[in-house]
Amino acid sequence: MSTTSHVEPKTVRQILGKVGLYSGLAILLLFLVFPIYYMFATSFKTPGEAYRLPPTLFPLRPTLDAYPYVIQQWSYWRTLLNTVFVAGTSAASATIIGGIAAYGFSRMQFAGKSVLYGLMIGTIAIPAMVTLGPIFIAYKNMNLLDTHVGLIAVFVAEGLPMAFLTLFSYFKAIPKDLDEAAYIDGTGFVGTFFRIILPLALPGFSVTFLLLLIGFWNEFLFAFTLTVTPEVRMLTVRLFEVPARENVNAVPYDLIAAGGVLILLPLVPLLIKVRDQLVEGILAGALKD
Amino acid sequence: MTTTTDALATASRMKLHLRINWLAYCVVLPAIVIRCGFTVVPMIQTILLSLTNKNLTNEGRFIGLTNYIRLASDPIFLSSLSFTLIYTFASVVLELVLGLIVAMLLMRVARFKLITNLAMLLPWVMAPLLAATVWKILYLEHGGILNQLLLALKIVSEPVHWLSDGNTARVSVTITTVWKNLSWVALIFMAALGALPRELYEAAQVDGATVLQRFRFITLPLLMPTIYLVLMFRGMAEVVTYEQIGGLTGGGPGSATTNLALYTYQRFFQELRYGYGSAVNVVLLLLTIAIGGFFAWRLYRSGR
Repeated sequence: MSTTSHVEPKTVRQILGKVGLYSGLAILLLFLVFPIYYMFATSFKTPGEAYRLPPTLFPLRPTLDAYPYVIQQWSYWRTLLNTVFVAGTSAASATIIGGIAAYGFSRMQFAGKSVLYGLMIGTIAIPAMVTLGPIFIAYKNMNLLDTHVGLIAVFVAEGLPMAFLTLFSYFKAIPKDLDEAAYIDGTGFVGTFFRIILPLALPGFSVTFLLLLIGFWNEFLFAFTLTVTPEVRMLTVRLFEVPARENVNAVPYDLIAAGGVLILLPLVPLLIKVRDQLVEGILAGALKD
Repeated sequence: MTTTTDALATASRMKLHLRINWLAYCVVLPAIVIRCGFTVVPMIQTILLSLTNKNLTNEGRFIGLTNYIRLASDPIFLSSLSFTLIYTFASVVLELVLGLIVAMLLMRVARFKLITNLAMLLPWVMAPLLAATVWKILYLEHGGILNQLLLALKIVSEPVHWLSDGNTARVSVTITTVWKNLSWVALIFMAALGALPRELYEAAQVDGATVLQRFRFITLPLLMPTIYLVLMFRGMAEVVTYEQIGGLTGGGPGSATTNLALYTYQRFFQELRYGYGSAVNVVLLLLTIAIGGFFAWRLYRSGR
């Protein structure tokens, strides 16, 4: 008797708690995913359905017609290649340059260390917007506007603090005795870095690279301001140039949505493959200690 | 005996450092030089530009604080400053509170890890401008799915003017920003919650503390460093928001959602008033440094 009276309210409360928990989860997932679902759904609609009143939740006659149109108007493959090249090169350079600096800070003593550390971290508080104007003017004078080299240089500078912080936390987790033993054994700095540190911190390097790649893939302010011609521009910038159909005045939501899918889709496999490491990397960059 | 070996180890370590000191600068300086070249140098140039009347046709001359004096009576600047402050405060507070709730919720759900992880990461991985583009389609007044759903569920009786009414548009851009950044905040909180000591909660439970008391007296104080960290990073990011607002409203209707970032961009790159645009930029810079500095200081204090 006493056990049943003891157990029952608990199970009722447990069931209520479970219901609350899972309805909370359902609302959250709906809030997070619905806009993305609707982008996909709109991209599969026919032009007529895309501006139909009232709007439809599911495409009535799903079609891929919007995609070839956007791919052609945006010269998508060329733009994708630009994006992969600029974002990839920038991410790799920032990871290596920032990683080497982080290694130096985590292992070496030198005069002015705290000042230089402060410069590296403190510059995070200088917004990109504040640097944009003078960089634009300087690039105009140096003929670097509308070049990939110019864009990559800015991106590397923008990515350095993140690379530095993330890798710094990975290096701090590697026992110093390991590389000091290597030094004493006569392995030089370069040898130690590439033979001991790089393999041990490889997950850190790859996650830093991926986080930066995603950041540069999505960057807009510099990519928009510092480039002009379509042949040089990157994917995100294309979102500002709404593709249009001839003889149609209405805003082509199906084309805009398809464009959005084409920008997001290349990142999705990345996300599925490395989502746990990504979370770990985000945390390593943010939580320094 | 141990002290001697320790001393020896320290001595050899110091010798090591001395030997490789020159190397340290070669290792560290490239990153510092590149970083400063693209941040500190342009920042100084912006400050200097803000003291001139340079524009596209005029090489510009030193005019002291004239630009700043003019800012003080520029109604659009003042409204963009106040909107920047309101928007930053609202989005950061919402991200903080909702992020913590989401984190505590997800900590208790053991199932559907794959789906939840993906759902969390998708908004985070989207370009801010893409998020704005997607939400612009949702926010359509006539033929928008959001109004359609709200009308069908009888939550509203007439279409909401998501982007065409000034005050509503201010709320709309905030919602989009919170949607985009909620995941990041929740992930940070999940890591922090996972690292809290279990024993404290067990002890509190034995003492008969309620759920609310446990949150108020154990979770919250232990989370303070994480809260400052989130406030610092999100505050510095939201105060300079450009793409989300630009993509959703372009700063409109009128100048209702024009924040400092949009305003400085318009002055600098559209009107090509380099001096005046830079003065707005300096205000933005000071604001960012104030937010970052304040919470960095709180974070440092709470860590001790």
